[in-house]
Amino acid sequence: MNALEKPRELTLSILAEVAEVTPDDLEPHHRLREDLGLDSLTSLELLSRLGEALKMDLEFEQAMDIRTVDDACLFVERQCSVPQ
Amino acid sequence: MLRPAVIDDAGARDGAVSLLLPELRRYLARDVDGEAIDREGAIPEATRDGLARLGLFGLTIPESHGGAGLSLGAACEVVATLAEADRSIAIMVGLHAGLGTRGLVQHGTAELRDRWLPRLASGECVASFGATEASAGSDLTMLSTRVKPVAGGLRIDGEKSYVTNGGFAGLFTILASSPGLGGARAASLVCVPRDAEGVKIGREEDKLGIRGSSTVTVTFDGVVVPWSHLLGEPGKGIVLTHGLLAWGRTIMSAGCVGAARSALAMAMAHTHTRRQSRRPLSAFGATRAHLAWMSMRTRAMEAIVRDVSAAAEAGGPIAIPSAIAKVYCSDTAFAIADRALQLHGALGFLEPTGVARLLRDCRITRIFEGANDVLLVRIGAALLADPSALGRTGAEALDALALRLGAAVDAARRRWGVGAVNHQLALQRIARAHIALAVGAALLDGDDAGSSHAVSELVSEGNEALEALDRADTDDARAAAVLSVLAEA
Ligand SMILES: Cc1cc2nc3c(=O)[nH]c(=O)nc-3n(C[C@H](O)[C@H](O)[C@H](O)COP(=O)(O)OP(=O)(O)OC[C@H]3O[C@@H](n4cnc5c(N)ncnc54)[C@H](O)[C@@H]3O)c2cc1C
Repeated sequence: MNALEKPRELTLSILAEVAEVTPDDLEPHHRLREDLGLDSLTSLELLSRLGEALKMDLEFEQAMDIRTVDDACLFVERQCSVPQ
Repeated sequence: MLRPAVIDDAGARDGAVSLLLPELRRYLARDVDGEAIDREGAIPEATRDGLARLGLFGLTIPESHGGAGLSLGAACEVVATLAEADRSIAIMVGLHAGLGTRGLVQHGTAELRDRWLPRLASGECVASFGATEASAGSDLTMLSTRVKPVAGGLRIDGEKSYVTNGGFAGLFTILASSPGLGGARAASLVCVPRDAEGVKIGREEDKLGIRGSSTVTVTFDGVVVPWSHLLGEPGKGIVLTHGLLAWGRTIMSAGCVGAARSALAMAMAHTHTRRQSRRPLSAFGATRAHLAWMSMRTRAMEAIVRDVSAAAEAGGPIAIPSAIAKVYCSDTAFAIADRALQLHGALGFLEPTGVARLLRDCRITRIFEGANDVLLVRIGAALLADPSALGRTGAEALDALALRLGAAVDAARRRWGVGAVNHQLALQRIARAHIALAVGAALLDGDDAGSSHAVSELVSEGNEALEALDRADTDDARAAAVLSVLAEA
């Protein structure tokens, strides 16, 4: 999937894989920790996979504000809109 | 004879526990034969009854439901005392008080709690917990046991492996994948009574250690339970299990404390009576160093368990602190048992002294309730995600270590970004340094004067871990090279 064209779909599919749910089960307000059961390690896994898909080295500071499914989608959308 | 302070009842803070412990010790000395439990591979029913009469199955169950409502710290002191005498019994009671009943106490419906907790508190019924499956061990997202809504309740199909207490338990809390309950691939926690139709109990496993503890496979074949048997919110099973594991790991760490106390006591007794070259073994400098090493580490284990229990009682999050306690206590108890065996010479290698059994019993603690390799990666990742967890202690050497560790964490974050998750060796070494720091800080919280040596040793261990961190990538590359040579051969 091309990240730049469909950032939201890409985010949801990676997130669903890491959280072991189907993309349809994800709601924008779901919290990564409390609702999807991600801990520090699986959160890092998610962000590392997103970084690989975006071909970017994501820094911790950028990543730590992502708390919900919607945060993750908005984050990726923002990264995709920045001229590379 | 030098009597180590760690064998005193310093940790027995709850009033109820200080009354119970002497009575429990008398019972264990008089009525429990650990060697026979190991040989027969079972805890006699009479022993279970005796423990039930002492109230040991109700330790952490609320008073409103017939239990003693003890704090985590007080329960830990009881489990440590049990483990001094017999690890199979400590595992049985610890699992019951931890993973076995905690879910029901915290998340059970009123109906389920009223029905089961009084029987669990009296010991009429023992509790089990089943998460592990043949293909889902460290990775609990691979569950194939299913729970799904059907007419009349929830239907469960699947098989759970290595279920502690399963041979005689009356109630199983199981984690099962729950399509249709909170998401297509969500998991939920459900209580299943042993006598529900379709529950089958497998034969007892033949094990290296804790041979008296019951470990079986439990099969659920079209079992149907009422909706009231669901624990907590549907689909939140993994999150809830992490909470239960934090509690269970703390109790298990307390069992390691008891094992270490016992190893130390045996080593002290033996080295003071056994004479070689016209003097007791304890008169040799090398022996004294071993004994001091064992004593300091036993103190450190006690301190970290007290610290995590206090954090839990204060309502703080204990997911990472309990993982730290579990890794430190399980690694250290095994190392202490190994030294005790060495100090016994040939006698230690023979079964009758009980040291060999102790070593065998300790081995499992590095595997269950989270394999240590996996927990180390988690502890390291958690610190990278939140370096603010590194607080100041006010002790110079520990604060210097914290500073150095903080700098190493910063460097790792800058160097790898979130890709650090793929550098397991580095994460584990960061975790080792964090453990040294956390255990050192816990020793400062205690009020015993003899812990300063233990703190210095921990600081050295933390610094060694950070030196090894610098080599993590090289070591990783070397390991890959060695394995590729092996694969070619
Ligand atoms: C006596 C006994 C009693 C038990 N009681 C219970 C019980 O009551 N309830 C219950 O649910 N379970 C129980 N268990 C199961 C226990 O919790 C599991 O054995 C444990 O979680 C490890 O899973 P596994 O055995 O499948 O090992 P695996 O997951 O196959 O791991 C084996 C090894 O691989 C390595 N490894 C695995 N994953 C990773 C990773 N991500 N990163 C780095 N290294 C990794 C580690 O070195 C690990 O030790 C019990 C087991 C025993 C032996």
